[in-house]
Amino acid sequence: MKPPILIIIMATIMTGTMIVMLSSHWLLIWIGFEMNMLAIIPILMKKYNPRAMEASTKYFLTQATASMLLMMGVTINLLYSGQWVVSKISNPIASIMMTTALTMKLGLSPFHFWVPEVTQGITLMSGMILLTWQKIAPMSILYQISPSINTNLLMLMALTSVLVGGWGGLNQTQLRKIMAYSSIAHMGWMAAIITYNPTMMVLNLTLYILMTLSTFMLFMLNSSTTTLSLSHMWNKFPLITSMILILMLSLGGLPPLSGFIPKWMIIQELTKNNMIIIPTLMAITALLNLYFYLRLTYSTALTMFPSTNNMKMKWQFEYTKKATLLPPLIITSTMLLPLTPMLSVLD
Amino acid sequence: MLKIIIPTIMLIPLTWMSKPNMIWINTTTYGLLISLISLFYLNQPNDNTLNSSLMFFSDSLSAPLLALTTWLLPLMLMASQHHLSKEPLTRKKLYISMLILLQLFLIMTFTASELIFFYILFEATLIPTLIIITRWGNQTERLNAGLYFLFYTLMGSLPLLVALLYIHNFMGSLNFLMIQYWIQPLPNSWSNIFLWLACMMAFMVKMPLYGLHLWLPKAHVEAPIAGSMVLAAVLLKLGGYGMMRITTLLNPLTNFMAYPFMMLSLWGMIMTSSICLRQTDLKSLIAYSSVSHMALVIVAVLIQTPWSYMGATALMIAHGLTSSMLFCLANSNYERIHSRTMVLARGLQTLLPLMAAWWLLASLTNLALPPTINLIGELFVVMSSFSWSNTTIILMGINIIITALYSLYMLITTQRGKYSHHIKNIKPSFTRENALMTLHLLPLLLLSLNPKIILGPIY
Repeated sequence: MKPPILIIIMATIMTGTMIVMLSSHWLLIWIGFEMNMLAIIPILMKKYNPRAMEASTKYFLTQATASMLLMMGVTINLLYSGQWVVSKISNPIASIMMTTALTMKLGLSPFHFWVPEVTQGITLMSGMILLTWQKIAPMSILYQISPSINTNLLMLMALTSVLVGGWGGLNQTQLRKIMAYSSIAHMGWMAAIITYNPTMMVLNLTLYILMTLSTFMLFMLNSSTTTLSLSHMWNKFPLITSMILILMLSLGGLPPLSGFIPKWMIIQELTKNNMIIIPTLMAITALLNLYFYLRLTYSTALTMFPSTNNMKMKWQFEYTKKATLLPPLIITSTMLLPLTPMLSVLD
Repeated sequence: MLKIIIPTIMLIPLTWMSKPNMIWINTTTYGLLISLISLFYLNQPNDNTLNSSLMFFSDSLSAPLLALTTWLLPLMLMASQHHLSKEPLTRKKLYISMLILLQLFLIMTFTASELIFFYILFEATLIPTLIIITRWGNQTERLNAGLYFLFYTLMGSLPLLVALLYIHNFMGSLNFLMIQYWIQPLPNSWSNIFLWLACMMAFMVKMPLYGLHLWLPKAHVEAPIAGSMVLAAVLLKLGGYGMMRITTLLNPLTNFMAYPFMMLSLWGMIMTSSICLRQTDLKSLIAYSSVSHMALVIVAVLIQTPWSYMGATALMIAHGLTSSMLFCLANSNYERIHSRTMVLARGLQTLLPLMAAWWLLASLTNLALPPTINLIGELFVVMSSFSWSNTTIILMGINIIITALYSLYMLITTQRGKYSHHIKNIKPSFTRENALMTLHLLPLLLLSLNPKIILGPIY
């Protein structure tokens, strides 16, 4: 894509999300969502093949439906409260509609079916933007309406998302689908805590974005989209292989890595609100997630995957792919646990 | 406590920046020096005062375990030298760094004063162990072994996290020093029963309890020697240590909640001892023997009498040293014949008499010969379980007999009798191996002279 066009499209994506986050008028929020969605379609279609077009179409359809549902919720809220300002939504129907719409945008279960298919059809870079930047806007709206969200609905969606994210990823070897199911599961964790302590949701979102950015960048270094191509990395970039090991364990939520912080905080907030079985169930289901991350590390870092002898003797060039900000990203994605007491500044 | 932790952290730059021919020497020497520092903590005044800082503390329960952990690092490094000699330099340094990292987490776990800190480090020990087992193990079954190890432990410990956070909300703090004064008896209700289960299952899996022990033979057998040593000697004791700490919160539910686990442990120790009689794989035999000894510790901790706690602590230290020594001996066999089958290398006494002496002493301590600390531990446990219920003496007696049987079986099969004719070409014992055995045995024998330091906080 020509650079000027790419700049304009990227700027539109960012402006769209900014408009969503900064507005207090529901119409502007909807405008922001639409700007974002329309601008990201060419990014999803960067590679002009039928798979990408199918992915963009699916993305467009689901997001457009969600925006329309959101607009309907906004209109019902307008009818009952008489104003367009984003604040507590007193009408339960409007609240449920908005919640459904926003969870559809995020890819929470039972509206998760588009996430693996869209992520699989697009390039790694577009997938990265899809799974990280695109989550910010809906999450910010959920944060703003969090006092009025129906807890039962969101908790049910969260539980099923964690289950789906865990079980769905078990049979995958394509890395983009694995990251998609990982995104579904993490969104589930975030959705579980919004109604109780939205700050933890922001914490989880931040750490999830950091970890996913690092993972995608490591995948992009080797342009690997399948487990098989990832398993050839030990020869070309042995250091990156160890990084993938640690990052996958962090995504799985193992202490003492920073992926454990959101899980710990979320379980703490949930137990403070007298829910014991739900966090236990969510934590145990997160083990399913850990299983397929671990399988990735097995094939990448811990064993030598079966390969031909040609694969074992590669020219070891210096790598010239630009990995922007990769070292700080990896450090923050893995070593942030000792800084957890800093959360007390939020009190 | 930082005087142990910071030097251990500094061992990692030491490995990465040493000259290639000095990495083993440097790390082993400084590891031994660090273990000398940890011995200072054994000097506990008799009135149960605790050495305390803001985050770390040590008392008579954790000090012997701390000494065991720091003592084991140089031993692990010495044991690993042979099988890593053919690897490229970076991988050697990675292996040593994994061992040092594991050591660091273990030191912090044993000296943690807050239960959530303990939990995080308890889980953190899993990662280096997983990497050591899966990356440097020798057979294809190691992948399965790593998975079983990780997932069994995590399944048990995630409810523990929820339970600890619940107790934190309920009591206000989980700092171990303060909790002792705030304990209220736990009333009997279904939710408290689940709380008890959630707290204990993590440690039961780690110990391991008989029904949940499936990960242990896999992990011990597939791990390289350093992995087996640290697993058997220290990681199992994490379970015992955690159980001893957390049962202070769970009275008086333990009185009746302990019954199923007592049954499983009492029956399990006989079962696993009996399986040892039919094992062909040497490492597997030692692994099942570990399950059997740890079942005794579980029985002791669940009975909750002063003598049983003393017996449990003594048994943990004794078993740590003995089991690690047995794995080193099995490894010396493995390095020569590259097989773990016992009957392939028989009659070693004629070829390696000094090693046969170490085999004899190790087997004797394994079967709890007086006056070793193994006997002190087992005897205290047997006596306290007899006072808990008279019938257990039958089971304990059968267990002691079967333990003696399989220890002697292992000794006789490998050392005595006519040698198998193909082992005439094995290399003689290295000084390193003899030093390794001595360093394992010497604390064991010396502690028999003064077992007071390992008898724990009740003494």
